[in-house]
Amino acid sequence: MHDAPRAFDSVHLELIWTRLVSIVDEAAAALVRTSFSTIVRESHDFACVLTDARGHSLVQATDGVPSFLCTVPRTIGHFLREFPPETLEEGDVLITNDIWLGTGHLPDITVAKPIFLDGRLAGFAGSVAHAPDIGGRIRTAESREVFEEGLQIPVMKVVRRGVMDDTFLRFFRKNTRMPDQTLGDLQAQFTALDLMERRLRGVLAEHRLASLEELADEIHGRSERATRAAIRAVPDGTYHAEVLTDGLERPIRLKLALRKQGDSIHADYAGTDSQVPRGINVCLAYTLAYTAFAVKAALCPEVPNNEGAFRPITVSAPQGCILNSTPPAAGANRALTGHFIPPMILQALASALPDRVIAGTGSPLWSLNFAGTRPDGTPIANQFFMNGGYGASAGRDGPNVLSWPSNVSAAPVEMIEQGYPFRIRHRRLRRGTGGEGRHRGGTGQEWAFESRSTTPVAVTFMAERTKSEAAAPGLAGGRPGTPGAVLIDGVPVDPKRQHILQPGSVVELRTPGGGGHGDPGERAQERITRDREDGLLGEAQA
Amino acid sequence: MSADRHALAIDIGGTFTDIVLYDSRTGRFAAHKELTTPADPAWGVITGIRRLLSRESVEAAAVGRVVHATTLFTNALIERRGARTGLITTEGFRDTLEIGHERKYELYDLHLPLPQPLVRRARRLEARERLAPDGSVEVALEPDSVLQAADALVSQGVESAAICFLHAYANPSHEQEAASLIAARHPQLMLSLSSEVAPQIREFERSSTTVANAYIKPLAERYLNRLSEDLTALRIKSPLFMMLSNGGLTHVDEAKRVPVQLLESGPAAGALSAAFFGARSGERDLLAFDLGGTTAKLALVQDGEPHVVHRFEAGRERRFTTGSGLPLTISTVELIEIGAGGGSIAAHDALGLLKVGPRSAGSMPGPACYGRGGAHPTVTDANLLLGYLDPETFAGGTMRLDTGAAEATVGALAGEAGLSAARAAEGIHAVVNETMSAAARVHVAEQGHDARDFALLVTGGGGPLHGCELARRLGISRVICPPGAGVASALGLLLAPARVDRVATISRPLAGMDWAALEASFSAMEQDARTVIAATLGATAALSIRRGADLRFAGQGYEVVTDLPAGPYGPDSEDMIRAAFERAYELVFSRRPGVATIEMINIRVSVTGSAAEGALDPEVPETSLGEPRTGARNARFGSEEMDTPVLDRSRLPAGVEVPGPAVIEEAMSTLLVPPGARAVVEASGNIVIHLPLAVTRQGQHQHEVV
Repeated sequence: MHDAPRAFDSVHLELIWTRLVSIVDEAAAALVRTSFSTIVRESHDFACVLTDARGHSLVQATDGVPSFLCTVPRTIGHFLREFPPETLEEGDVLITNDIWLGTGHLPDITVAKPIFLDGRLAGFAGSVAHAPDIGGRIRTAESREVFEEGLQIPVMKVVRRGVMDDTFLRFFRKNTRMPDQTLGDLQAQFTALDLMERRLRGVLAEHRLASLEELADEIHGRSERATRAAIRAVPDGTYHAEVLTDGLERPIRLKLALRKQGDSIHADYAGTDSQVPRGINVCLAYTLAYTAFAVKAALCPEVPNNEGAFRPITVSAPQGCILNSTPPAAGANRALTGHFIPPMILQALASALPDRVIAGTGSPLWSLNFAGTRPDGTPIANQFFMNGGYGASAGRDGPNVLSWPSNVSAAPVEMIEQGYPFRIRHRRLRRGTGGEGRHRGGTGQEWAFESRSTTPVAVTFMAERTKSEAAAPGLAGGRPGTPGAVLIDGVPVDPKRQHILQPGSVVELRTPGGGGHGDPGERAQERITRDREDGLLGEAQA
Repeated sequence: MSADRHALAIDIGGTFTDIVLYDSRTGRFAAHKELTTPADPAWGVITGIRRLLSRESVEAAAVGRVVHATTLFTNALIERRGARTGLITTEGFRDTLEIGHERKYELYDLHLPLPQPLVRRARRLEARERLAPDGSVEVALEPDSVLQAADALVSQGVESAAICFLHAYANPSHEQEAASLIAARHPQLMLSLSSEVAPQIREFERSSTTVANAYIKPLAERYLNRLSEDLTALRIKSPLFMMLSNGGLTHVDEAKRVPVQLLESGPAAGALSAAFFGARSGERDLLAFDLGGTTAKLALVQDGEPHVVHRFEAGRERRFTTGSGLPLTISTVELIEIGAGGGSIAAHDALGLLKVGPRSAGSMPGPACYGRGGAHPTVTDANLLLGYLDPETFAGGTMRLDTGAAEATVGALAGEAGLSAARAAEGIHAVVNETMSAAARVHVAEQGHDARDFALLVTGGGGPLHGCELARRLGISRVICPPGAGVASALGLLLAPARVDRVATISRPLAGMDWAALEASFSAMEQDARTVIAATLGATAALSIRRGADLRFAGQGYEVVTDLPAGPYGPDSEDMIRAAFERAYELVFSRRPGVATIEMINIRVSVTGSAAEGALDPEVPETSLGEPRTGARNARFGSEEMDTPVLDRSRLPAGVEVPGPAVIEEAMSTLLVPPGARAVVEASGNIVIHLPLAVTRQGQHQHEVV
């Protein structure tokens, strides 16, 4: 039985909700298509959100990556603390990229526009998107403080009653390598906000609603109850998990105690190593986003994204640990640490939900970043992404090469070769790298970039799970996946440092395989035969 | 009887093969439905033609034109019934097809089913060769490596192979060389070359398209040979024309060469037909809306032509989810499919919200009211309880609907959420309409349009029933219901011009373009297209040539497909092309970035040719005598029950105006005219429903559901 609500029945609420979802989806489509940022476009590294006047989210476009779960409403909360409702006017837009108030790294710019109805604040249209460039060092883990990572935008009104702040514009342009594209993307975010505002007014008028609060409470209440019902199915208890990442000179330990009590879940990261003087620290907002993502994926993937859905999931981490960094910790490459959170949550839940989780994945996301000069002396730079293998599960082998927990595509080889001074010698599956098991992990892949630049180019990487202690763990007796590796001219190099690539040199990136599931001795003979025919077994296995 | 008096249109669908015989002298058309024979589809076609010709006393020799559309190849991809296929790639890239985009089409499902490549790794082999992005040769093709790969494929029983080398869009010579080496050694092995099938940059999409082509090629070859022979045996002498996904026709050899272009031929015919009937009511900008048992389809018609796009997804893991299928770069009439239809099941979800679809009761067991054991409330059950359907005359009286069964299932649903049964029925109708309008709204907005500028053209069993309410939600004020919607799609086949689309990647900045080279590329593509048209229609066909290009601002990753002015181009064309792109860009995005450099990635030509036999002018069905009003029933509009007259469409003469509320019944569909609206029977045979603007803009009329 469902609770019979006072004001909205199951039909009325569905009709309004469908409309609200179509508003954020329409805004998301507009943002994706107008964006210059590769990462927004190819990887949907953005979010569009509608909130009520309190900043509580009603709907979030479901297509965006997990990094932004819950972040926009939290940021709007910070906006409201600095700019209470009585200081907001029609046509204002608020902005920040503060990593502790926002999403944990500077390229993500959050903007929000108050929406007024008959002169009263009714809600906010909010958006966050990854900017093409925010100044500072080219995306690297080498920064020791956030100040090296680029321009920090405090919470401020970037648009006042429809007029853009000229001082902001001048500062902004001066601090980015690509002012046209970066401002173009900010404009795209404004376009999305305007669209959401227009459409929301239409819905409120059509359904004769004076405010959003009552609707929000109804949506949140129902979503919260659905999440709680899903949590209740997990046996009470505290579930532990611990992982090591490559880290820097030595591995970094992440520790989780997942306490499930009744209809709520608390993730406690006490015991996790301290923040480090490099750009791989994680702000609590990002820890919360990836914790909520993993719990939702394991327990209730169908519950829509809004405030209520995530209320039963809470997080704590000691101040100053690498999952709750404090200023001035750098965080540009927070994913190198934060992407370990979802596999760790699933690992913890494995004993309670053996059929619903997957073994470790070959994440975090990998990339090659390069900066050099064209023959005419002008600078050229870009970042090329790639992924590892997916974890096996009770039901199947892990798919080969799949982005998780993020969702980022690799650029086409032909596009890379058209636009940049590289020849790709190969891009292929990395045989034998999925962890063995009754179901094997997905294999990683290997890319070989040969520099065709006539001058040396600087390369940095996003690369993790390159040490055996950080390999993607197996489950239920399955073996870990093979760790990744980065080589220059055949020699393994430290992927956390910048390297100079001479003309003609070849850099190879080998991404990690996913973990296996179940006893390898139980693997069906026909699966082994098929892998052998397909040339996917490692040399030792073949 | 003159030899070109009659035309035959054949549309093979999943269940029925529709055949229409059109008499160009009288404008009369006759239709026949034959059950599709999937094991040997030509058999059903031939049987049907024979029956129809004999019924109409028309001799086979009097058929001057045969046009054909089929879903056979699409279904072969969905059901994975294609040939054993191989792939030969550049060394180092055999896995491009499998690695794909590395992305998930849904974020939260840990066990997401992913589309598997059509060719497994053991049959993906490599040849030694390498081209640079400009097409220059870096490593010459090594013949032994090609032959070894081909031998290995043949020894694995491969019947059809794709060849896809890096940068082959810029230089086809290595692929061609490889093909001739293989053809000499293995003449029976069918080959598909990426430089011929999909000569566009982006290796994954090009491979995926070429492989899909190779996968269905043997099937297409066998089927089309068989059908041509059987038609000849029937003494039909006219050539067989095939409908392409883009709404054009081509000849059989071209269809056999690149069958992947035929995947959406059926829906393309439907869209052409919609455009035709819309034009008869003076509407050239339409949303064509077809609602069947499980699926709603929407197509955009602009300025009288269906909107054509250059991407498609085949064999989706989840039918209504973008990204869950195999990406193909073919030109196709754009169609969005929504998981909503008469059989869509209504249920409360985990949040206690009323959801309708995409789960469907299909036709077996079907809606509860079909009385075939359907235990779930569906859209058709709700429509019955709302008084929109007549239990006695449904589907031409072939089926008696069970009102009691509908009441029981809808009542149970209502009980779950404390609703009245009437509110639940009205809710199902409203929710399915809102679901469809949400999809339509986002789609139309993505094209940079406002739905209110379009008329809605309704077909299918459910289109006329839901059309007016969908229109109201979209702010559309005119709804067009053509006569006899059932045969409309096959009729569209007879409307199609011959058409050839060609594409090539050039990938250069617009500024500093080598205009002579660009003009030469366009001319070469146009020449190639003319050759195909000439082979289809003869050398005298009247041609229309259109140029286009995929353009973007430097730094962007997506291009905007832009219609360009006619050639020939020279240095003074730059401003014109820039202006065309900026206009197209602003239409979609309503703003322009401050980036000056424009890149031209792909260039396109589309050549259409029309045969001489003149325009299609089907006669309007004759009106029967007798009182149009056959009765009245209580129908529910929003929260209000209204006494609603029921009319027989076949007795409504041109010029009659019917005020809403009214129900206008036809053999296979029911048109619902809501209160406040006005239906006009036109001389064209169309019924046009005018919705009052107050209703559409405010959505606050008395039939407002919420």
